Amino acid sequence: MSDRFVKPGNQEHGWNDPPQFSYGSQKDSGGPKRNILNKRVHAPQFTGSGAEMPSPSVAMPTPPRGMNPPPMDSITPPSVCPKTPSDGKMETEPSFEDVQEPLYGALNACRHTVKKQICDDVERRLKLFEDMWKSGKLSHLVKHRMHRLSQDLKRKNWDAADEIHRGLMVDHVAEVSQWMVGVKRLIAEARSLNPEQNICTDPGS
Amino acid sequence: MATFQEFIQQNEDRDGVRFSWNVWPSSRLEATRMVVPVASLFTPLKERPDLPPIQYEPVLCSRATCRAVLNPLCQVDYRAKLWACNFCYQRNQRGPQMPLNFLYVVDTCMEDDDLQALKESLQMSLSLLPPTALVGLITFGRMVQVHELGCEGISKSYVFRGTKDLSAKQLQEMLGLTKPAAAQAGRGPQQPQVPPSNRFLQPVQKIDMNLTDLLGELQRDPWPVTQGKRPLRSLGVALSIAVGLLECTFSNTGARIMAFIGGPATQGPGMVVGDELKTPIRSWHDIEKDNAKFMKKATKHYEALANRAAANGHIIDIYACALDQTGLLEMKCCTNHTGGYMVMADSFNTSLFKQTFQRVFTKDVQGSFKMALAGTLEIKTSREIKISGAIGPCVSLNAKGPCVSENEIGTGGTSQWKICGLDPNTTLAFYFEVVNQHNAPIPQGGRGAIQYVTQYQHSSGQRRIRVTTIARNWADAQTQIQSIAASFDQEAAAILMARLAVYRAETEEGPDVLRWLDRQLIRLCQKFGDYHKDDPNSFRFSETFSLYPQFMFHLRRSPFLQVFNNSPDESTYYRHQFMRQDLTQSLIMVQPILYAYSFNGPPEPVLLDSSSILPDRILLMDTFFQIVIYHGETVSQWRKAGYQDMPEYENFRHLLQAPVDDAQELLHTRFPMPRYIDTEHGGSQARFLLSKVNPSQTHNNMYAWGQESGAPILTDDVSLQVFMDHLKKLAVSSAA
Repeated sequence: MSDRFVKPGNQEHGWNDPPQFSYGSQKDSGGPKRNILNKRVHAPQFTGSGAEMPSPSVAMPTPPRGMNPPPMDSITPPSVCPKTPSDGKMETEPSFEDVQEPLYGALNACRHTVKKQICDDVERRLKLFEDMWKSGKLSHLVKHRMHRLSQDLKRKNWDAADEIHRGLMVDHVAEVSQWMVGVKRLIAEARSLNPEQNICTDPGS
Repeated sequence: MATFQEFIQQNEDRDGVRFSWNVWPSSRLEATRMVVPVASLFTPLKERPDLPPIQYEPVLCSRATCRAVLNPLCQVDYRAKLWACNFCYQRNQRGPQMPLNFLYVVDTCMEDDDLQALKESLQMSLSLLPPTALVGLITFGRMVQVHELGCEGISKSYVFRGTKDLSAKQLQEMLGLTKPAAAQAGRGPQQPQVPPSNRFLQPVQKIDMNLTDLLGELQRDPWPVTQGKRPLRSLGVALSIAVGLLECTFSNTGARIMAFIGGPATQGPGMVVGDELKTPIRSWHDIEKDNAKFMKKATKHYEALANRAAANGHIIDIYACALDQTGLLEMKCCTNHTGGYMVMADSFNTSLFKQTFQRVFTKDVQGSFKMALAGTLEIKTSREIKISGAIGPCVSLNAKGPCVSENEIGTGGTSQWKICGLDPNTTLAFYFEVVNQHNAPIPQGGRGAIQYVTQYQHSSGQRRIRVTTIARNWADAQTQIQSIAASFDQEAAAILMARLAVYRAETEEGPDVLRWLDRQLIRLCQKFGDYHKDDPNSFRFSETFSLYPQFMFHLRRSPFLQVFNNSPDESTYYRHQFMRQDLTQSLIMVQPILYAYSFNGPPEPVLLDSSSILPDRILLMDTFFQIVIYHGETVSQWRKAGYQDMPEYENFRHLLQAPVDDAQELLHTRFPMPRYIDTEHGGSQARFLLSKVNPSQTHNNMYAWGQESGAPILTDDVSLQVFMDHLKKLAVSSAA
């Protein structure tokens, strides 16, 4: 999935800056957090065994001359948690027209009911989006995710579209901040024109 | 012992409560002899996805001719906060919707890169806020600007001098605000009034486009800063205006003031340092020598603001991103009295700030914010117990009554507190006093009971009540001391005592606190250890108690009680986190976790001791504030030689990756984001590991902490073994 990734932190400005997780990889799994690394070792002082501290091993080892390579045969037990596979494949880039069509479709549908000023503001931002796309200022990831967003918009999957917009704002704010708020508003206005047909029941919880 | 551990864990999972003693000594005299008081850690909003909210007032259908009550036959949309009446099919709103308020207070005196990163983070946050939340903006530098939102096409703002404080009344007049009509005193269920928005705080869905542009156009403070000077930053007045603005318009609904600070306040009330760079901001040394010119006045200013905010149920967060100190010491009441967040980073252009800030807006599985606002907590006790007080992010509501003890601990003299901001991790410590007279009979099978009642504004806008009631058995300490001893929760006790120690350290002199802590430890050993008098080698502690001295050893060396290795702001920050985290995280802060990775077996926990540092191992240390991955000497040489890139040595690549993956698990959910340190044998950053481990081997002592003057009973630079030996000697001594 092109929306789950980890980038290193900003080592220039932040001393020991932690890595940055994408919006998609930070989703809460729900419930209390599981603390996998939570065990401690008792110091053998008081538990009646009377044992002294384990005798220290060779403490300050001399650097080996002619360093031995690491063992090849031993099976290293994996870490506690499974690794998420990273996404390597690059899909073909979507065309701008494919992305543009549902966006303007939604905008035109709104023109009857939504104030002109707002529609104009949204359109201004969509134009800015277009300019940035066509002048190569947007990354592949942004283009792909906007394509998915526009498809969700076409299919009236408001929540999904909203979620993609949020993910883009969190992960690529520098590229999208100027125009994304227009897309956000577009989703909100289009949604209120088409109220949800079903009320979903939430079982139990 | 195994059964008690399970009991303790089950209770924590269900109730969010951990007690120092789970069987209570039945008389006051005996209770004082236990050394560690009967006390509990309590997480009011502990996540219980299986616990549905119960409507405490019947929720009625809004159709005037229907008025049926919400019931299990109704279809409910939790996301859209709607329910459909099954009698008349009307769609209704769930509960009274009080909007959430967010007021951003933004410093503009910073480098352009920094400001740009901050602006982007704020724009991003508009996408994370719920559409109905109200949002406002105040910017400051030399002057303070209150921005009017929603004026079509034109940006308007009110500009205030940064040198002069304003009362709420003056502010009200200057901004042309009228206080909303007082809520009608009605009969029956009170429907809280929804306050209207005003020109300065507007719904996100209405002004998000305008505000995005407004943020995008923010410029660095235009007042020129000459060589050798600091920018003039009027933080004190800016915060005062923020508090006043919300006081006038949204008193008693949940609100969050988020202050983003790029440096210290250098002008006006609340200034913490002058504008000459050659005069540095106060250090602990300056404070000790009473040489901190601005500290008292500034602290008073922010404390007054904090109390006003708390009285109104408003939260103050501080996001301080600068390489030098910003005055967190003086401002700590703002966050600690209101339950607001204190975040300390080097710059806004770091992932530490950006991700920590994102996580403020984390949602739960139902899609609601985890943050809760405008909370109050009341405790009721059965008559044998009284409440001494609370230590945590709260203020007193001064509610007197039969449950309230005269012996105050922390925020005492009350049975009710206000916690303006809380989330599922917020944990308070409560201290109790057993008041039964000695030799008063205990009713057969009698149990003491405590009830915690938490009311708060859920992020959906709805007011909720959560009630936790617990009971524990009484025991006569004269005849049943074993059952009381077996009920000891050494982890909870360690943190409860630690909070007491830190609370004292903030109000008293440092060495006195260490002496007090040592005395309590010795008394506990004398009371509950097995030994022959004057024979230190005979001393034994059961497993129920054996970790406790270790915790105390590490606590004494920790940044919570040892301040001279840190700046005043750093100490304040560490203490702030310590005084609100749950038990597991607090323990990590006191005694960091250390895991070892090697070819010899699966990853395993190891002693926090220098003997655990071996050349063919990788160590992962979690101190809560830092995650350190340390490569032993041999591993480091292999890494430098590039064996991980060779296909035949794939298992070495896996070994290097294993601690990184486990660290990511920790980084995924921790709030605030910790620093992340990748280091190796001989690396300068290895000091983070070396300063935490017990220096059990003499040639490693060159990395141990420096000498302390004014030695308490047990000296500070000793190893755990020497500490334990000393402790045993003092515990068994008949002279003590």
